[in-house]
Amino acid sequence: MTPAAPGSPPHSARIEPILQAQEVHKWYPNGFHALRGASLEVSRGEVVVIMGPSGSGKSTFLRTFNALEDYQQGSIRIDGMPLSKDMGNIDAIRREVGMVFQQFNLFPHLTVLQNLTLAPLLVRRRGRAEAERRALQLLERVGIAEQAGKFPGQLSGGQQQRVAIARSLCMDPKLMLFDEPTSALDPEMVREVLEVMQGLAADGMTMVVVTHELRFARQVADRVVLMAEGSVVEIAPPLQFFNNPGNERTRRFLDQIL
Amino acid sequence: MNPPLPSSGSPLPSSGSPSLPPPTRIRPPGGVVDRLRRELFSTPADGMLSLALISVISTGLFSLLRWGFVKAEWAVVQVNSTLFAVGRYPSAEQWRLWLLTTLLAAATGITWGLLRAFPRPDRSSRPWPRNDFIAVAVLLLLALWTPWALGLKLLIAARWLGIATLLIALRWLAGRFGPQLSRKRVGWLALAWPLLYLLGMVLINGGLWMATVPSARWGGLLLTLLEASFAILICFPLGVLLALGRRSELPLLRWGSVLYIEFIRGAPLITLLFLGQNILGFLLPGGMAPDRVWRAAWVLTFFAAAYLAEAVRSGLAAIPKGQLEAARALGLTTPQALQHVVLPQALRIALPVMVGQFISLLQDTTLLSLIGLMELLGTARTVMANPDFLGHYGEVYLTLAVLFWCCCAALGLGSRALERRLDPSHTPSRS
Repeated sequence: MTPAAPGSPPHSARIEPILQAQEVHKWYPNGFHALRGASLEVSRGEVVVIMGPSGSGKSTFLRTFNALEDYQQGSIRIDGMPLSKDMGNIDAIRREVGMVFQQFNLFPHLTVLQNLTLAPLLVRRRGRAEAERRALQLLERVGIAEQAGKFPGQLSGGQQQRVAIARSLCMDPKLMLFDEPTSALDPEMVREVLEVMQGLAADGMTMVVVTHELRFARQVADRVVLMAEGSVVEIAPPLQFFNNPGNERTRRFLDQIL
Repeated sequence: MNPPLPSSGSPLPSSGSPSLPPPTRIRPPGGVVDRLRRELFSTPADGMLSLALISVISTGLFSLLRWGFVKAEWAVVQVNSTLFAVGRYPSAEQWRLWLLTTLLAAATGITWGLLRAFPRPDRSSRPWPRNDFIAVAVLLLLALWTPWALGLKLLIAARWLGIATLLIALRWLAGRFGPQLSRKRVGWLALAWPLLYLLGMVLINGGLWMATVPSARWGGLLLTLLEASFAILICFPLGVLLALGRRSELPLLRWGSVLYIEFIRGAPLITLLFLGQNILGFLLPGGMAPDRVWRAAWVLTFFAAAYLAEAVRSGLAAIPKGQLEAARALGLTTPQALQHVVLPQALRIALPVMVGQFISLLQDTTLLSLIGLMELLGTARTVMANPDFLGHYGEVYLTLAVLFWCCCAALGLGSRALERRLDPSHTPSRS
């Protein structure tokens, strides 16, 4: 990955970036200006970590990428498809974009296996046998195949989050979004989730991760993004981001968390 | 692997290993006398209170028993037992009701056995839990004692015993051989219930080659159960739709639902029943509201739907927003997310409240006697007006109370069993 100046796309991207967000503005109904011209481009296979103080709009920005939040100005394209208000389009994009939430959001009334097969059966219209085979494969990959018959409430937080990752992977997404995936976990369970994510990154999955995990950002990210007051203030490779940030705002943020 | 966490909201530790021994009840040492002393007479004040309560309860119980066995004359119930059961349903056609009862008993037995044969995947369950033995005993006792107490003919008493035996036998057979069926096939068998309900309607009403029995002749327990079950079955989907409508983003749908719910909840049922008898014929297209019985059934349905909608709404409100978001993020459409993710959880939460509504609906059917229907209370009133049985109000009303109590208790028990089966906290089974 070539170092890129803030705001500009990486030059190595020959094919179209999988995610293009340009000058995105969002106002909440109460008038709060949450996103103020945030822009980001992500190429295929890239891992981008978004950091920033709380209230900087990083989760909101992430959630606009699969239309869980709407936006009023600017444009977002996923895999070339414009993300508009058209519901058919939104459904098509959501099929290609996986999302992992801070609170896991597993379906508590379904077993782990049913959690994983629900969307493939309903949305991809796969056969049950095929969906279950794939689900077990992915459970194996996140290291909890033996829990397939249990319900989410019977698993630890770390296990639940790994199930949630596997659930997203079942749809074979082209892009994975992680919204603070380890923030709700007890400290001793953070690592098992990060290791799964690291494995995904090594396999070439395109990922956008909002997190406070510095080590993950240092070791796994191709680029680190700093958001503040609803806009992107710095985009840099991790080495440069942490050791020699170009922006005063980044320096202050790093001073606070390091 | 990590140690399993106790899931939030459940008092019992939900363990990752199913081999966890079930929680044993610790019984303090000492015999019955010790236990009585400890629980009833631990302090002088406790002792006084216990003695006072014991004397009040025993006096009340004694007078009730003395009245029931010495003073009461149960002939009023014995002579009119058919009237209480089915009203003026022509005796030549009563075989249809016997057939329906037999089919219902068969379906109940099979369902019961299959439920035991297919326990929840995360729970171990014995094929014959203790509760089932109690239920079988109660069933046999009722089938033997009731015909005797009512002084029924031997042939009829034998029929009741036969029906009870059929139920228990099918319970055993389905429990024994059910596991050989595939889960999917068993799921299809659930369709037998709605089909049976439709068949029951045909049997009661007549049609096909059978003579029509006009609804004016339906009465007693038959009419009560018919009105209540119809209203419960139809108000359920209506109530769910109304609750969804109330949370809809479309203003017309939302305000329409709110208006309907608040209007119905603001009016007493009895006024709606009178209103229904007078104007429902104009509102519904011809043939939809043919007679008083069905008019009343529709009013009950529309009435119950408004209350049910509020129960469902409370369940919907309890589901975290993240559930819908996760489902939508996986690409499910909103209807799919509602059907597979949100509603199953919301209805489970609303279940106790909904069953409470159903129970009061069952009791509200007594109001139908005020608009001239011969359901249980209406039948009772005509019986008590008969000069032969003048003054025997106590016997009749007590019988009615016990009948209603049995129906409501059955609903309540069923609801609790369903709650346990759908329990999302997944505590180890205790059966």
